[in-house]
Amino acid sequence: MCDKLLPYAWLIPVFPFVSFIMLLAFRHRLQAYSSYIGSALTGLSLVAAIVVWVTGWSVQSVQHTGVWLAFESVELQMGTWITPLNLVMLNIVAFISVCVHIYSHTYMKDERRRSTYFAWLGLFTAAMLGLCLSPNLLQFYMCWELVGLGSFLLIGFHFEEDKAKAAAKKAFIMTRIGDIGLLAGLILLYWQTGSLQFTDIYTVISSGELEAFHVTLISLLIFAGAVGKSGQLPLHTWLPDAMEGPTPVSALIHAATMVAAGVYLVAVLHPLFMASDTALTVVAVTGGVTATVAAVIAIAQTDIKRILAYSTISQLGYMMLALGSAALAAGVFHLMTHAFFKALLFLTAGVVIHHFKTRNIHQMGHAFSELRFTGMTFLIGTLAISGFPLFSGFFSKEAVLSAVWHDERYLLFSLALLTTFLTAFYMFRLFFIVFMGQGKPTSGPKKALSMALRLPIAALSVPAIGAGFLYTPWFSAFGNWITQWQTAQIDPGHEVPWWMMPSAIMCSLAGIMLAWVMYQKLRVPLRELPYLHAFTLRGFYMDELYHYTIKQPLQFMSTTTVYIEKFVVETVMESSSSFVKWVGKYGARLQSGQVQTYGAVGFVGLSILVFILFWTGGYF
Amino acid sequence: MTSVPLNAYLMLALILFCIGLFGALTKRNTVIVLISIELMLNAVNINLVAFSKLGMHPSITGQVFTLFTITVAAAEAAVALAILMALFRNRSTVQIDEMDGMKH
Amino acid sequence: MDWLSLLIFSPILGMLLLATVHRKNESLIKAIAVSATALSMVIAVLVFVLFHQGISHAVSYQWINFGHDNIVFLLNYELGVQGFSVLLLLLTSVLTLLAAFVATFQIKKNLKPFFLWLLIMEVGMLGVFSSENLVLFFLFFEMTLVPMFFLIGRWGDRERERTAYRFLIYNGLGSAVLLLAISALFARTGTTNIALLQEIMANEVQGSAAISETFRNGILWAMLIAFGIKMPIVPLHTWMVRVHVHAPPVLVIIHAGVLLKIGAYGIITFGAGIFPEQFAQISTFIAILGVINILYGALLALGQTELKHVLAYSSVSHMGIVLLGVAALNQPGYHGAIFQTLSHGVIAALLFLIVGIVHSRTQSTQLKDLTGLAKAMPIASGCWLVAGMATLGLPGTSGFISELLAFLGLFETEPILAGVGMVGLILTTVYVMRIILSMTHGKHTLKPPTELRDLTHSEMAPVFVLVLLIIAIGVWPSLLTSTLNLTVQTISIGIGG
Repeated sequence: MCDKLLPYAWLIPVFPFVSFIMLLAFRHRLQAYSSYIGSALTGLSLVAAIVVWVTGWSVQSVQHTGVWLAFESVELQMGTWITPLNLVMLNIVAFISVCVHIYSHTYMKDERRRSTYFAWLGLFTAAMLGLCLSPNLLQFYMCWELVGLGSFLLIGFHFEEDKAKAAAKKAFIMTRIGDIGLLAGLILLYWQTGSLQFTDIYTVISSGELEAFHVTLISLLIFAGAVGKSGQLPLHTWLPDAMEGPTPVSALIHAATMVAAGVYLVAVLHPLFMASDTALTVVAVTGGVTATVAAVIAIAQTDIKRILAYSTISQLGYMMLALGSAALAAGVFHLMTHAFFKALLFLTAGVVIHHFKTRNIHQMGHAFSELRFTGMTFLIGTLAISGFPLFSGFFSKEAVLSAVWHDERYLLFSLALLTTFLTAFYMFRLFFIVFMGQGKPTSGPKKALSMALRLPIAALSVPAIGAGFLYTPWFSAFGNWITQWQTAQIDPGHEVPWWMMPSAIMCSLAGIMLAWVMYQKLRVPLRELPYLHAFTLRGFYMDELYHYTIKQPLQFMSTTTVYIEKFVVETVMESSSSFVKWVGKYGARLQSGQVQTYGAVGFVGLSILVFILFWTGGYF
Repeated sequence: MTSVPLNAYLMLALILFCIGLFGALTKRNTVIVLISIELMLNAVNINLVAFSKLGMHPSITGQVFTLFTITVAAAEAAVALAILMALFRNRSTVQIDEMDGMKH
Repeated sequence: MDWLSLLIFSPILGMLLLATVHRKNESLIKAIAVSATALSMVIAVLVFVLFHQGISHAVSYQWINFGHDNIVFLLNYELGVQGFSVLLLLLTSVLTLLAAFVATFQIKKNLKPFFLWLLIMEVGMLGVFSSENLVLFFLFFEMTLVPMFFLIGRWGDRERERTAYRFLIYNGLGSAVLLLAISALFARTGTTNIALLQEIMANEVQGSAAISETFRNGILWAMLIAFGIKMPIVPLHTWMVRVHVHAPPVLVIIHAGVLLKIGAYGIITFGAGIFPEQFAQISTFIAILGVINILYGALLALGQTELKHVLAYSSVSHMGIVLLGVAALNQPGYHGAIFQTLSHGVIAALLFLIVGIVHSRTQSTQLKDLTGLAKAMPIASGCWLVAGMATLGLPGTSGFISELLAFLGLFETEPILAGVGMVGLILTTVYVMRIILSMTHGKHTLKPPTELRDLTHSEMAPVFVLVLLIIAIGVWPSLLTSTLNLTVQTISIGIGG
């Protein structure tokens, strides 16, 4: 019975895709029902995902594919693939998408273009689910780009605003830079292994046929794609700007799913990365540095969504760090817990923003008394992300830290610990400023949050607390399950030094304490250190750096090329037609109108002809 | 009396032809140009008659052809003068280098 | 039943009918023109279907023979199709139908001569892709030049006459070179039949070893120059940019959609087809040319302030991918090159179709005047987005398939050049994003505020057809590759790759 349903796994992305088509084609007529249709269809895909999970529980790797494009030497396929990793991703994506759909029902109820919004959500969800199901790199890449399209459309949803327009453009271009690296790596991998199917790639890698140079080059190119999509340094500046999109979009895309696609990519191709120490080091270092830098930047931000955006970048750095330390289970586990608590944080932030009509945290305050439910759930999320004991984030950070230590990357380990401290610090800074302290109570009537807002938030709080228990140092069910399909040398759980857990707890608590002291008790703002503050507030001036090192040189090159075109190419090509004109103009001067000149010329010519005739022996 | 050698006739015709050519190509007065053309034609006539008597295969063909040439020359002179009269009436000049309407 | 000849000369029926109609009777003129092109399309579809059923459409009629004893010169009226050409025939007839349809509401004056010229040009275009004989090919090739000259010169914008002359002189030069090459071939081998020439050049015919390497290289280069002017290859592209900008958008649909593809068709079928060994020897150079096309076109497109200029340089850039694909010398590469030829035709048509529509509303194509159109024209903006995404090669559109296959092919043989070429894809993204976003997003500020209506039903029809084509080919590329398989195999056997 179990196996019979698996071939129908392809239906999972089809439901949201149907939603997309329907809502786009009939957007005016279905305006009022758009959220119901969207939520229902996404709910169907969630149901399907759960069914597939339950039936495919013990499956290691099953694929159903059909030939898509074939000619003599090349065969490309499309289909579905079920592994434990896929199942985790599928369910996370579907679940969070449903939560966001339901939340958007209320959040976007005043929006004039509701149907279009839900259509784009459907497109995005369908592409993301398709990505998770992909059996080969090509289908993966296709869905990857479509996910980028969905993100672009949703970030720029309020297209009349210049900020949204700029943010969408930046997001698309930056991720595309990474995507080109991924495409190049994909093609090179194809020529090395003869196939793009993940299973075939694994076979080739484990047989050791690939040269070290190729493995490293390909993994680095593929990692470039992940860097773009997951907002790692140096392609991270699009993520904070992407906050111009509606908040539910940020929750779905830029917290839980799309940015996780990069992590998923590295995870699914983990055997490839494992075959090259250089690649692993690059991944780990990128992850670690990103985590710390982003955490530092987050400390100075005043826009609530930007704080959360930088924290996403930082947490993604953690995941990359784990993957780079050869710990697949830890990375994926943190992916899972992060998806839940980050989506939770964004959705609750949405309520807060709506309540205060601003995104600036310094214009908020004292929210806990007015928004009890929101405050509680936000606190849950904050505790989770800070690694407070027994919440989900705690266990996943544990896993990451122990993996880094186990891999003997001590410098990165200290960075990771530092980041734990910083994370707790800035998140609780956020919490204290917004929810505690003296703020001006808003004058509007206090109405209870609608069910559509409460339900998803509550639904997400549960795994934010509880998901951690799936993979603790004492109970590595998750770890075992997720690595069972990898024949490579993965070791799901390892010996954890006794001091690991206490030191992590201490860092988190220290961060919380410092935040409490600075923002609750003493209200010491960071503005005391002006230069440091400006520097961190502006994200280490990275946007400006890119402007001067990439945008301006590019414009310069373009202008130079325009000049080359105008003055060099055109002149050369122009010269051929002007030469013809010149010949014509001066040749015409032969027509002087003087009969006698014509006569003389004719006579001379005739003489020459006759002379030649006699010279060559004549005609006769 | 000793007969005049062939060369002498041919030289005479050549000289006459060259004078005629020179006149046709350099004189400014159209009437003189026409006269020079007549001169060239007559030079050819001399050639023809000389070859008719003193050439490789003497026959009367050359002289007969000469009659044709004279007739054609006369007709051509008449037409040319008529055109010249018409031109003169239009432009009040017979200077040939002022007739350059076919200039580019 | 000689379907090919029927197809090629079917527009003449329309021409004859048109000739009898008075020039003031606009609605009848429009009806006849559209039906004539529709008829051609129907026959083209029929040819395609029959081709798939295995019917070879090759015909041969005696035309010009001269010579004596052992030196016989044969010039026959020979037609034939393979996978590539039959698809190009379909593309031509579809795009001409679309152009005729759109012209009914975008061309305002002198409708009758416009359609007459258009129909003559269609005969030429259809003939070009069906000829099995080089001289016949040349005949039809020239047949497309003259109508284009008049069409640009009479219905273009302010610079139309200079553009028309420039077009004629440049393409005329190219034709002269091509004629030289064809004559030399004819004199040397006594035939211009393509299949025979391929055999001769492959040294399968007695006496063909006597044809020197220099001769073959020379002819190949001459053909490269001639078709390079058409394709266009940088630096021979300046005429094309002018045409794209100053010709009416309806005409650019055909120009960018079909005429430029004649260049690509020529290089693939005659260059690589008749002289495979010599072509393989210069493949690295061709790849470099392709990379230059991509990068140069993209950099220029970035720096433009006027929409049609951007699209013109974008065309230059995308034809570079065709070169890359052919230079790869392997099956994915050829598939990619041919795919790009077809796909870019459709994409360029869609782009200029929308430009024409927008221009008719706003009377401007300056980028600074076209902002914020998404609010008033959501459907047009959506289709513009699809066109833009197809240009930059988003999966799900035909642009992706061609880029994927071309680069897939090139990475095998010239990985470094392929890597450089990929940078061009990033540049493409930047300029495409620029034009999409500046046109659709933001606020509309053109003063006086013009009345912006979204697409009318008659505008929606061609636009949606093209959008559907782009997506259909992008999602089911086997629609095309199954037809192309045999062609590609033939080419690759010839080159030995």
